[in-house]
Amino acid sequence: MREIVTIQVGEFANFVGSHFWNFQDELLGLASDPESDPIFRNHNLNMDVLYRSGETLQGVATYTPRLVSVNLKGSLGTMSSRGTLYNEGSSSRSDSSTTWFGDVDTQRSEPRKRNLFLQSLYEEEPKEGKEIEDKDIVGCLDEGVDCWTDFSKSHYHPQSLYELNGLWMDPQDFNNYGIGKDVFSEASRGEEICDRLRFFVEECDHIQGIKFLVDDSGGFSAVAADFLESMADEYTNVPVLLYSVRSPMSQMTPKKTVSHKLHDAISFSRLSSFCKLFTPIGLPSLTGSKASKFLNLGDEKPYRSSAVYAATLHASTIPFRMRPSSSDSSEVSSSMDVNTLVQLLTGRGRQNIVAILESAMPAPPLAGKQLENTLLTNLQALTPEVTEDIEDNQAVESMCILGALRSEDKEASVSEVKNAVDASYEQAITKTKPLFCSLSVSRCPLPVPLPFPSIFGNLVGRKGEILSSPVSDALYRGSLDVHSIPIAARWRSSSAILPFLENRMGNLEKLGIQWGAMGSDVVRTWGFGREELQEMRESLSKMVSELNPQFFESSDSD
Amino acid sequence: MSVRVLNPNAEVLNKSAALHMTINAAKGLQDVLKSNLGPKGTIKMLVGGSGDIKLTKDGNTLLKEMQIQNPTAIMIARTAVAQDDISGDGTTSTVIFIGELMKQSDRCIDEGMHPRVLVDGFEIAKRATLQFLDTFKTPVVMGDEPDKEILKMVARTTLRTKLYEGLADQLTDIVVNSVLCIRKPEEPIDLFMVEIMHMRHKFDVDTRLVEGLVLDHGSRHPDMKRRAENCHILTCNVSLEYEKSEINAGFFYSNAEQREAMVTAERRSVDERVQKIIELKNKVCAGNDNSFVIINQKGIDPPSLDLLAREGIIALRRAKRRNMERLVLACGGEAVNSVDDLTPDSLGWAGLVYEHVLGEEKYTFVEQVKNPHSCTILIKGPNDHTIAQIKDAVRDGLRSVKNTIEDECVVLGAGAFEVAARQHLINKVKKTVQGRAQLGVEAFANALLVVPKTLAENAGLDTQDVIISLTSEHDKGNIVGLNLQDGEPIDPLLAGIFDNYSVKRQLINSGPVIASQLLLVDEVIRAGRNMRKPT
Repeated sequence: MREIVTIQVGEFANFVGSHFWNFQDELLGLASDPESDPIFRNHNLNMDVLYRSGETLQGVATYTPRLVSVNLKGSLGTMSSRGTLYNEGSSSRSDSSTTWFGDVDTQRSEPRKRNLFLQSLYEEEPKEGKEIEDKDIVGCLDEGVDCWTDFSKSHYHPQSLYELNGLWMDPQDFNNYGIGKDVFSEASRGEEICDRLRFFVEECDHIQGIKFLVDDSGGFSAVAADFLESMADEYTNVPVLLYSVRSPMSQMTPKKTVSHKLHDAISFSRLSSFCKLFTPIGLPSLTGSKASKFLNLGDEKPYRSSAVYAATLHASTIPFRMRPSSSDSSEVSSSMDVNTLVQLLTGRGRQNIVAILESAMPAPPLAGKQLENTLLTNLQALTPEVTEDIEDNQAVESMCILGALRSEDKEASVSEVKNAVDASYEQAITKTKPLFCSLSVSRCPLPVPLPFPSIFGNLVGRKGEILSSPVSDALYRGSLDVHSIPIAARWRSSSAILPFLENRMGNLEKLGIQWGAMGSDVVRTWGFGREELQEMRESLSKMVSELNPQFFESSDSD
Repeated sequence: MSVRVLNPNAEVLNKSAALHMTINAAKGLQDVLKSNLGPKGTIKMLVGGSGDIKLTKDGNTLLKEMQIQNPTAIMIARTAVAQDDISGDGTTSTVIFIGELMKQSDRCIDEGMHPRVLVDGFEIAKRATLQFLDTFKTPVVMGDEPDKEILKMVARTTLRTKLYEGLADQLTDIVVNSVLCIRKPEEPIDLFMVEIMHMRHKFDVDTRLVEGLVLDHGSRHPDMKRRAENCHILTCNVSLEYEKSEINAGFFYSNAEQREAMVTAERRSVDERVQKIIELKNKVCAGNDNSFVIINQKGIDPPSLDLLAREGIIALRRAKRRNMERLVLACGGEAVNSVDDLTPDSLGWAGLVYEHVLGEEKYTFVEQVKNPHSCTILIKGPNDHTIAQIKDAVRDGLRSVKNTIEDECVVLGAGAFEVAARQHLINKVKKTVQGRAQLGVEAFANALLVVPKTLAENAGLDTQDVIISLTSEHDKGNIVGLNLQDGEPIDPLLAGIFDNYSVKRQLINSGPVIASQLLLVDEVIRAGRNMRKPT
């Protein structure tokens, strides 16, 4: 078995993570529920890849994610940083201090109120007549979610949730690389975080990789970069899959300031130097994108936008957990480990480590009547600043399709999916064809857990099928109406990412390095010297030239 | 005004409003931390929004747990935390000292004094106090065999402000012995070489010093022994798991056999490494019943564990990087980075290695080592609160012993230094100062008294009585501190109450610097949010 350890750093990364673990929790629940659809009971996915088994001091068995989550103090809402499983029996006894006989001075923060959803989780037995209805729960979550714990139904290990304390900073002020620069190294925070990670890695018999999510819109990129650096040192041969995730909110400021642009450049350059594959996720607006074809997203609420990203993340990582022995069984096909994916995307000719992630949610049925309903045209890039329809005959792709439907609500078999995808690649216009595409298929669709936001439009059916006419007048359909959806995710290593790279390289040069650059004060206060910036530019231009062979020639002639 | 033009939301506070805001913030923070100070202080229980409970007596921990929003308070808190980083103690004192300096300044400014003059006075007083500290300190000769008694007294003074007496006294020996264990002549003391490990098990009084190491993980093979005597210890950083090495990067298998061949080749090279270790084991354990233990910083996968278990070897994987260093210091031998460097000389030795399991947590004890230069303080307690308390205290205790050894001197405690310094400033220094800066010196001098005052207040004594009796004793030429039991003067030397020189020095240095900066603020500008609302 090849384990994966997950790391989530920053506010939005934890939002995405919370949805992600909700999906896993739902899968676990459905797998053990005799009444659920057989497709969930024999999904042939190995959950141990992401989860660990343990036991509490009282000897109760536990099953919790291999997860290290880092966030600011106070971001856990009503959840205890020790999680929920390992608390000692009587809290009154453990509250008293036995080490000090003097007076006790109590300072009580205002207790946070659990929302209806959390109340329903913690209620052991529903009281007579006061049962909380699912409808109300969904309603209350759609109304207001403040922190990622508000909609989390997963249990976490006491080592998992780490809060950065002693920063004394509002989350909105923790907004650039410079401000986060010393946070990891100061006050032995880094050491504590690394100890948490080591706890999970030590248990792994044969770790296949680390999945690292970072909210890179602010100071957390610096925390993550330092964390990655120390990991690269300690776990040299463990590949790191890095996802940078941003909420549309964080990019809503009308005009990007100099400091924003420099932050993006520096943060990208630092983060990309410590991972095997970098996947930027986070469109400036989801509402206007193809992703909103069947979904009603809205950009203001991280609770809603993170759901799409989490679903895609889930789909893209499914090949890592397919049981290899049963590979090409009737349930799953083409398992892959992290290293294989990295080799596939970065190791063929071009050494491009920045991948584009695309998703189709819900994935269209295979027997689409209209041409525009084919899978390939429905894929929407979640990576910002990419060119569409680029001609790149060296592109490499890896696609994962979960629970695809044949037509209406009939599940397709693995071979049907394969044939359909082959066919659609055949039909595709020649210039957009990749050099190589690997395909992984699982018949198990994405289950929609109760605390999932009501983001589905009224053309989405119960099994995620796309209806020809609206089922109801309701614009928003949630977990009560839609129980599962088929989903497709695709990694692409293509020169379509060039604008993303070139913007960062250009901004770094123009705003940070040139003599008299507008941002030279900004980078100085962040503590970067000229040499450091030049080194960053070097590495960025190397990335660009990897994808654009003309780049060096043109820059030489200047 | 120009700020308003640039940003209409910006809020500007003028000089006097700015000053009052800063002074109030400083006082506010002082009020929160004041009751913590000293052996009669209160312990703070913080109940978070989620119902999480934290208990702490340590100013540093308390500050970090607080959600501070006022910019002045944040500045003071940062200084106080830096104080702890540099000298290991004195967080609470720093906060209340800065608060008191601001309070005293408030009074002077109300009477029409300009902050600039006040700041000049602070500077003079600070320099004079630092000079006085150098004459006041009690030198301690360290040499090869440090005076254990004085180290114990310093440690006890610190520990008794964090833990009840019985436990503090028990920990005093542990703390002093552990620092002496890692101390090497002519080298700075690296406190990281004392591992602090905790187990939620038994009671606080079961906390003990382990001469050797306690690791927070165990072997990962069911057939490995849980207890072994007379052990050769191999400390290494060698990967014993199958992984696709860098050389294979970019290589694609064209068929299944080729892939299989690659896997086998890789596996073979791992097995060869394991085999080399086994050969060494056979060499040193032949003809005796010694055991062999591997502690590896890298991973060991199940097939390798199998091979090792079959040979009766105990193997631990993914040891903390720091433990690599500690192990070598505790057991001898050297850390090996490649199996080619394996020699019997690279092995360390431990008389006893055993595993202890608590729920899902495993601990490995490496004990009975020869001539250790690294050790472990094993903290035990029935719950997390107890463990956290002891941990904070141990940390401070270790620092105080280290400071004493490195300072080669100590300072009489129980408020004796503060009272003496105040009298020195008032009776001698003030007279040498020209003009109104005298008032600055006086304000500084009075601010020093906040330490004995707060100690008295926390002990439920009358602060005025206490200060009068202390100052009059000092004027008679007797150096006395405060007896917190009865409020009478005592001789700290006889009572064995000593503070660290470097802590005091740092405190006197940084306090006035921050206070001066805050006093000289003449405008506060903040964009966007309302800062007048209470925090």
